[in-house]
Amino acid sequence: MRVSAWFIVGLGCLFLFAFSVLGVTLYRLQTVKAGEFAEVETTQTTRRIGIPAQRGRILDRSGHVLADCRPSRCIVCNLEELQQRGNWSNTVNAVDAAVDALASALGLERAVTREQVARHVARASALPLTVWRDLDERTFARFAERADGFPGFELAVRAERRYPYGTLAAHVIGYTGRGRPGGDEPSVAQEAGAREAHFFEELEMKGRKGVEGFYNRYLAGFPGQRFQLVDARGFRPRKRAGKELADAAADDVAPADGLDLELTLDIDIQAELERQLADVTGAGVVLDPRDGAVLAMASAPTFDPNTCIPHLTPDVYASLTNAPAKRGQNRAISESYAPGSTFKPITALAALATGWLPDDEYDCVGVYQLGEWKLRCWDYYGHGPLNLRQALEQSCNTFFCNIGSAIGTNALIEAAHDFGLGSCTGIDIGGETPGVVPDETWKRTYYNEPWYPGDTCQMSIGQGMLLVTPLQMAVVAAALANGGTVVKPYLHKKSGAESGRRVPFSEDSIELVRQGMLDVVLHGTGKKIASGLAVTCAGKTGTAEIGKGEMRRKNTWVIAFAPFEKPTVAIAMVVERGESGGKTVAPRVNAVFSRIFGRKEGGQRL
Amino acid sequence: MRAFLSKYLRIDVTMLACMLVLVYMGVRLIQSAGGARTSAALNDLWTVHAWTAAIGFVVYAVLTVVDYRKLLDWCAGPVFAVACAMLVAVLAFGAVRYGGRRWLWFFQPSELAKLAVIVLLAHVYGRPTDEEVAPRRFGWRGGLCGLAIFGVPAALILAEPDLGTALVLVPTAFIMLLAARVWTKALVTILLTGLLVAGLMLGTVYVAERQSRPEDKARIYSRIPLKEHQLKRLRVFLFPDRDIHGDGYNLRQARISIGSGSWWGKGLGKGALKQLGYLPPAVSMNDFIFAVLAEELGFMGCLSLLLLYLGILLSGLRVAWRCQDDRGRLLAIGICTLVFSHVYVNIAMSIGLMPITGLPLPLVSAGRTFLVVIMAALGLLQSVAVHGGAEE
Repeated sequence: MRVSAWFIVGLGCLFLFAFSVLGVTLYRLQTVKAGEFAEVETTQTTRRIGIPAQRGRILDRSGHVLADCRPSRCIVCNLEELQQRGNWSNTVNAVDAAVDALASALGLERAVTREQVARHVARASALPLTVWRDLDERTFARFAERADGFPGFELAVRAERRYPYGTLAAHVIGYTGRGRPGGDEPSVAQEAGAREAHFFEELEMKGRKGVEGFYNRYLAGFPGQRFQLVDARGFRPRKRAGKELADAAADDVAPADGLDLELTLDIDIQAELERQLADVTGAGVVLDPRDGAVLAMASAPTFDPNTCIPHLTPDVYASLTNAPAKRGQNRAISESYAPGSTFKPITALAALATGWLPDDEYDCVGVYQLGEWKLRCWDYYGHGPLNLRQALEQSCNTFFCNIGSAIGTNALIEAAHDFGLGSCTGIDIGGETPGVVPDETWKRTYYNEPWYPGDTCQMSIGQGMLLVTPLQMAVVAAALANGGTVVKPYLHKKSGAESGRRVPFSEDSIELVRQGMLDVVLHGTGKKIASGLAVTCAGKTGTAEIGKGEMRRKNTWVIAFAPFEKPTVAIAMVVERGESGGKTVAPRVNAVFSRIFGRKEGGQRL
Repeated sequence: MRAFLSKYLRIDVTMLACMLVLVYMGVRLIQSAGGARTSAALNDLWTVHAWTAAIGFVVYAVLTVVDYRKLLDWCAGPVFAVACAMLVAVLAFGAVRYGGRRWLWFFQPSELAKLAVIVLLAHVYGRPTDEEVAPRRFGWRGGLCGLAIFGVPAALILAEPDLGTALVLVPTAFIMLLAARVWTKALVTILLTGLLVAGLMLGTVYVAERQSRPEDKARIYSRIPLKEHQLKRLRVFLFPDRDIHGDGYNLRQARISIGSGSWWGKGLGKGALKQLGYLPPAVSMNDFIFAVLAEELGFMGCLSLLLLYLGILLSGLRVAWRCQDDRGRLLAIGICTLVFSHVYVNIAMSIGLMPITGLPLPLVSAGRTFLVVIMAALGLLQSVAVHGGAEE
């Protein structure tokens, strides 16, 4: 025979060898590297979808709800049910046409553009597309009746932010916009590293401004996640196939709801403070001088955060930012003003620390002369000889110019820094400005001019380049109230007070200045602060003149605290373009104090 | 009548059992692969496959009891002629699907041609010879004749174009010619040269792909006579991870399917990649059905499949061994090599051991012509088992 048996045996060996190569390769793929491939498979067939956490409420100190969530009725579209064969654009067209049809059936205007539909189909087709948000009850009911005629569309209820008190404490609370609920900080999604691209979530409420912004993560909680199988085109598989593949759902992670945020605010004080500022431009801060708790903080003019929900529209944005009103700006922390005479207690303390004696007198002749340069006292004829306490009571400019010049710039700057001026207080909302405590370098940098003796003089009476925020002045008032401790103001009740920092001035000096401030409200420029109050208070007025020529205007101030012996409230208030601290601001501070402490029997309202 | 029935007692039972199990697996896998699809025609494709298998089995049963020697005497020439005529006809009138002109209605002449080549080669080189004819039949003239017998249909198939089917004729024909010791030195030289050329081409593509400048790449490519889609397959073979969303997509998805099957698989009908459409439905029932099997039945399923094929192949070779006649031996060797080439190429390309060539998995892949043809071939093998012992 031509065909030998050995050839057949050889062929058999070839077959065996070839098959064992296949077998070994398969073994390597399916057992050794199986985990690797299973991982790849999971990555490409599952999308991790965020489950929104419920956002916490914001409460005042006694539990009044300043912000919470309400249900919002939405219509969503499950894209896979409208999925078309072929090109992506076929599906986009189908969804687009279905949205149009539904819009005319419900008599609504379209809320999603074709571009949004296309983007959703391309990037997040495993998520339902929200077609309308926040529908009224009637439209919702009408849709519910006709839903059968519109396959793929479905009702959904989402949460939307609500501020029950409207404008109350708007600047403190802030508002929410749309964003990734977990924030842009490293979140659950990033922790998973490579699989981040497969993490989808609906844009949810994200805090912006105020405590909504500062405590966003606290309020927002952590979104949970569920695992969604997707087909090769990124859609959820239709039901038939989905049934057999449902076991991926086992790995779902429940969301951790956000926590309620309890603030130190007292809505009664807050409302009164806002009422006093309602007709002017300005700001006020009420602190508890014992630990720095913010009892009220207001900025005028104000806005209603409900108008910022669900997100800022261009119109609302313009109304929040347009000058001069700048309704969205929290003037209490992000605007800085010259403090005027309210700075004089600090000048007085600096002088006492440098050796000025309480009984040393200075003769005010109505003008202070430094070479060619003159500074007029507000009393044209002069106050005559005054000691420190009297000078505070009369708010004598020449007196303080004199001691300021005597102790020198550095002592003033140091004292200002000791009271926390020139740096942020560290309050737990964003947007704080540090203000300015000028020195030689600063002036050189910003004005390219040397430091003149007149600058020291201006600074000692709180004018010139010195700039402070109302919150900083409230902290100064609190420090004078509590005997010299600079507190860190705070809004989140649970965060608690940090122990304050003592100013390096003797208790006697501080007591002398406090007495001076008591004289101010008893006999001096601030009589209207105390008028008719059930408790004794102390304070200091200020009237800072700024600008030149036509632009010349006065920002008027009061810092005050009460009760005098054991103060529980410290306040700073500024009103732009006022007449004087004593006339414009003092009555407003008086009203706030009245609200807190009540009025003397038979005491007359102003 | 008794003598006729007693022929069935002499069949190779292992081969029959392995074949039936494989056909059953094929039906279930096509059912599973088609079940994930929305179109009703694809959902029910498995019934079509089952009916075709039934027809194939009738052909198998008939061929088993027909003496292959008589069959070869009568049919070898005519079948070859008909196959070649149909290949010409398909080039003229055939329906174009999947980028090739391969179908006459539902019939693929190229599949018939595979069997026709084996039958004719067995007939030409296996007939009893005397001293006078032998030098002519097994010398250089015989060699050229053998090359023509598989070269003509291969060229026609290549023109469709269907490179995979054309190439699968090469090992089948060469093994048969080598077994018959036809013009051995020249054929071995041709074979080795062919392998060398293939290796060089692969090397050239590798070198070209490593060039950083596009103009260098283009210059190298201009020197090798390959079409763009062929180059593409070689590129995917050499660099499987380079273009996983484009050319390399199918292979990558097949490998993920196979790898994620692990030891025991996900269960029949539960392969996620197939169901969710990652493994393209166009290939999951045909060329890549092995990936579906590997995902759903796991390594154990794959091993079983390999053992079943090995069962057919080794019992086929045992049939050849026992056969006392050159025609039977050549026929058995040819059929075994044909089955082996398909199985090996199909699985090797699914796991990235070979460049992708569209070859079906015998008995398992959906594909009616090939199913009937391969069952007919196995029927011939049984006939060799039944009749090959000695002249009756």
